[in-house]
Amino acid sequence: MNRAFMLLGLTAFTAPALVAQEDVAARLQGRVPPAVAAAVSALIDTARARGLPGTPLVDKALEGAVKGVPAERIVPAVRTVLDQLNASANALHDAGIANPSDQAVEAGAFAIAAGMTVSDVAAIAGTANQGHPAAVALQVAGALAALGVPRPETVGLVRAEIQSGRPLGDLVSLPGQVQAAMAGGALPAAAAAGLERAAAAHQTTPPRGQGKGPVNPHKP
Amino acid sequence: MSQAFDPRVKQVLDGERPAGDLPLALRAEAEAAQRVLAALDRREVSLSPQLDARVMAAVRRRAASPRRRAWRWFTAPSVPPWGLAAAAAAAFVAFLLLFRPASVGSPGAASPLATAAGPESVYVRFVLTAPTAQHVALAGTFNRWDPSATPLTRVGAEGTWMVTVPLTAGQHQYAFVVDGQRWVPDPAAPKVDDGFGRKNSVVSVTPTQGRVL
Repeated sequence: MNRAFMLLGLTAFTAPALVAQEDVAARLQGRVPPAVAAAVSALIDTARARGLPGTPLVDKALEGAVKGVPAERIVPAVRTVLDQLNASANALHDAGIANPSDQAVEAGAFAIAAGMTVSDVAAIAGTANQGHPAAVALQVAGALAALGVPRPETVGLVRAEIQSGRPLGDLVSLPGQVQAAMAGGALPAAAAAGLERAAAAHQTTPPRGQGKGPVNPHKP
Repeated sequence: MSQAFDPRVKQVLDGERPAGDLPLALRAEAEAAQRVLAALDRREVSLSPQLDARVMAAVRRRAASPRRRAWRWFTAPSVPPWGLAAAAAAAFVAFLLLFRPASVGSPGAASPLATAAGPESVYVRFVLTAPTAQHVALAGTFNRWDPSATPLTRVGAEGTWMVTVPLTAGQHQYAFVVDGQRWVPDPAAPKVDDGFGRKNSVVSVTPTQGRVL
């Protein structure tokens, strides 16, 4: 096989990425005002330059247009999403994750949108390990925050669950358990505190700083 | 100068046959031919003094052509034949990873509940009770916020509307669109501000277990 064929193969593999770029413009065209499309495209370029996913920005622009939001309010909302993605990526870096996945960045951004702080995201991501990926831990944290669990209880519960060494399914089930307790009349904070105590009782991994913590595969 | 030699004499001249193998009648002819050729070989050959310069100029001209060098680079073999099979296998695997369809599974039983449809995809059932609604649709990040893409079906007489959709791993924000105008968050799901003064509902599909939070 000569290099001409290799070049054709390379083109075939890079084509989807080029198509994806075209797709962004196509997704916005005709659905948002041209000025909004131009501004959002610029923000997407900024996101890509920082290694951040651009899809959430497109989604927010489309959402604003479909909901009939005036154009002048769409771009600031998209910029807020970009800021959240950026803050999430910084928090993941602070947690020692040099190259976070798009899912982890988006999950962190969602947690921030739901009321968590950058340091909360970093604290949870720093506790993540091979069996409890940062993306999942942050999705759970965001869902808990969206359910109304206060920040400290959310961070404490997710970290305690990871450190308990129990299966990932137990971590994933936390929002459902909180919802069930709330349906029974418990306040979100109380429901989370009870679950945190239960997780701490099963804890097999010493807290950070008191021994060898869980291995974070993302850390260098 | 042209002279027709016997083929056997030619073989001797070419070194393919020893002269002793020739019949006696041909040996004299072979010796004569060898004498002629020996005389020719010793004749002085004169080369043009510009020959070296012309040859080297031609070599440099051909080597300096970037188009020709690029073409040679493209067409030169660079991968052994088995590399083609390896590349085809890699392309096939990449195709499966990039373009695999959503797996099929049976719908869940509550809103937003799900049944695993694959390692990174689940079927999620969305339910809304809206007795007076004439039309209910689902719009969210999973259908590009298109209110016409995912209509709900009215089931029963109590105004329960339902739809089941496959979702990939990740977090999806959504809302119900009632009668094409009213945006209603899912009462059974967590909510976040949508940035426009309203609330979006959130459904999360975990990337590793295909679970819904």
